[in-house]
Amino acid sequence: MNSPATGLDADSRKEIAASLRQLFEQRTESHDVATLLAEFGWADVLAEDPCAAINLLFHEQGRAVAGSRALDDVVLAQLPHIEATARRRAVVYPHPLGAVLSRPRDGALRGIVLGSLDDVEDAVIPHTRPDGTVAVAVTPAAELATAAVPLGGFDQHTGWRTISGSRTTDGHTVSIGPAWDLAVAAGRRALAAEILGVCDAARELVVAHASARMQFGRPIGSFQAVRHRLAEAEVAMAGARSVLGAAWQDPAGPSGVWTAMIAKLRAGHAQAVLMRHAVQTLGAMGLTRESPLHRYVERAAALDALLGGHRALTEAVGSALLGGTEADFELP
Amino acid sequence: MTGSTGPERNAADAGQHLTADLPAYRRAVRAFIATEPGLKRWSHACYPSTEVHMSEHAALMAVLYRSGWNRYGWPDAAGGLGGDERHRAVLYDELSAAAVHIPEQQMLLETLGPALLRFASALAVQFLPAYLAGREWWAQCFSEPEAGSDLAALRCRARREGDTYVVSGQKIWTSHGATARRLICLVRNGSAESRHRGLSMLMVDADSPGLSIRPIALASGQNELAEVFFDDVVVPASRLLGRHDEGWHVAMYLLQFERAMYAWLSATVAARKLRELRDAILATTELPDGGVRRLGECYADIVTLKARSAETVRRLAAGDTVGPEASIDKVLLATAETSLHDLYRDLLPAQFLFGDTATASRWRDDWWYSRASTIMGGSAEVQRGIIADRVLLLPKERGS
Repeated sequence: MNSPATGLDADSRKEIAASLRQLFEQRTESHDVATLLAEFGWADVLAEDPCAAINLLFHEQGRAVAGSRALDDVVLAQLPHIEATARRRAVVYPHPLGAVLSRPRDGALRGIVLGSLDDVEDAVIPHTRPDGTVAVAVTPAAELATAAVPLGGFDQHTGWRTISGSRTTDGHTVSIGPAWDLAVAAGRRALAAEILGVCDAARELVVAHASARMQFGRPIGSFQAVRHRLAEAEVAMAGARSVLGAAWQDPAGPSGVWTAMIAKLRAGHAQAVLMRHAVQTLGAMGLTRESPLHRYVERAAALDALLGGHRALTEAVGSALLGGTEADFELP
Repeated sequence: MTGSTGPERNAADAGQHLTADLPAYRRAVRAFIATEPGLKRWSHACYPSTEVHMSEHAALMAVLYRSGWNRYGWPDAAGGLGGDERHRAVLYDELSAAAVHIPEQQMLLETLGPALLRFASALAVQFLPAYLAGREWWAQCFSEPEAGSDLAALRCRARREGDTYVVSGQKIWTSHGATARRLICLVRNGSAESRHRGLSMLMVDADSPGLSIRPIALASGQNELAEVFFDDVVVPASRLLGRHDEGWHVAMYLLQFERAMYAWLSATVAARKLRELRDAILATTELPDGGVRRLGECYADIVTLKARSAETVRRLAAGDTVGPEASIDKVLLATAETSLHDLYRDLLPAQFLFGDTATASRWRDDWWYSRASTIMGGSAEVQRGIIADRVLLLPKERGS
């Protein structure tokens, strides 16, 4: 329960969050998030307190319903086995509808990249080897580019692309063992923060609507049926925030991977609860393009699906418990 | 039964060391639990009645007191060994992790103890040591037949006469009421219209003349609750917690511990019971559809509650006041408790409905008691109202 002696204090966090919020507002096609972050001096913030920095960045990215390659950096930082180079790399994430990991050995590669492959040199493809261990193949992007197509669907604006088809070469393959679990855990913490950022923005929107929208001569937020829905959503969000907070306490510790999974699960659960109630509370407006709510609903759902949706993770937790996992959450 | 690793055998400075060093305290508690064979008596135990349950758990209090471990987190003057809320939280965590019961009495100690220390330190010095040692325990008398969720409507009268109060009226739904030695009562000294202003908090001995207690059998048959009748019960004014008219303030202070410390304690118990349930599931041949997901969901509910109340425990330990946001802890607690007991009922329906073992019977009793989690200490509806008003800042309901 001792908080780390070093790191960013509450005031600095607030300041950084405000700067990030501005930064996401300033982004344009030509001036993307990565460029703005570099100008801001993000590397220094990251070095000072990586956990707080990543949490803030993804939270604000979620609030802004923005897209970036930041998740790749978080994941790649956990894979020191891959030789460091100046080449720009993109991670190929397991496709939510496919197997747990892309399986290029079978020739059938299916995955998601966070953006176009035109401006990256390598694709980093995790896959399971026949012996069950995890390896990553680092493959020149040019050999995959033809198969990277924009991923539409529920959220048309993620910027994500799918890769499918067979590869032309095996590239350079490295065994990474349990590091992949750590990389997934790091990605899940970041995604949980991003989902909760989307939720924060949606919650502000729905609370403002419930306070302003008058029916029967009073604001609809004064009706118990509406109030209790929104209170329920607040409980789900607050619970998810606490689990994520616990997951950040000792990410490299023995239960870091497990806690990250629960954090992602709860963030996914929170967005499901909030968005269901938010859409209902906004009335017909909630299902139009006139209100920005749909963007929150769609983005939260897409983020929930990446690296394990909350339903799949719940099932995985249940199976692990039946398999004898004794993991408990200790008062840190 | 004195644990060889008990702090009373150590030098005084060793005790101080554990007060300052929480991880060392955890290791020491863990070592005690692992090496004290007598604690098996409180592992997987089932009790035929609430009365036996309470007296067995009083014996466990005595063991923890003699070995010193439940004295951490309470001040020296009140029978403790120093430290803060986190020490208490660690003890609950470690007992539950080792599948040992947490004494039932700790629940109301967590609720009433801090208020006594804060508002009636002389009473704390006088009575808290006996509570910690398991020689007595107390109940909380707030609810009345006409004052449940609307607590400020309570009517139980306390008439000031010289250095005494004369109490008349009725309290109901009092946990541990039938076996408690003392009752902490929220009573009305002002007019009926004074609402939350004209209230005072009194500690009343259960054996006072004019006081009678009737157990209320739950559907399970267990006397978990009681109603209490006051017929001109004379209480010395020295038994006030806080000042005359300050009862509501004391009650609100007390509720933050009920919503936070009690939530943490219950979360550790829920984690223990979920492991027990998991083992019971593994021993059966077939899991109903969706059973794996339900198990995962319940586990995640409990972890969420633990993560949330750990933060709150830390805040209390740092001396912060926990405000309306404690209602979030309370809702998470109720969610975890109901989901855990529904899980046993749904995944092991044959045992739950028809099992004749003591374990099945205990799960049935506990299932009924778990239904109280959305009622006691402020109903689920009241908690959601508080969150809507004071966390989300939504417009007030009409008429409130």
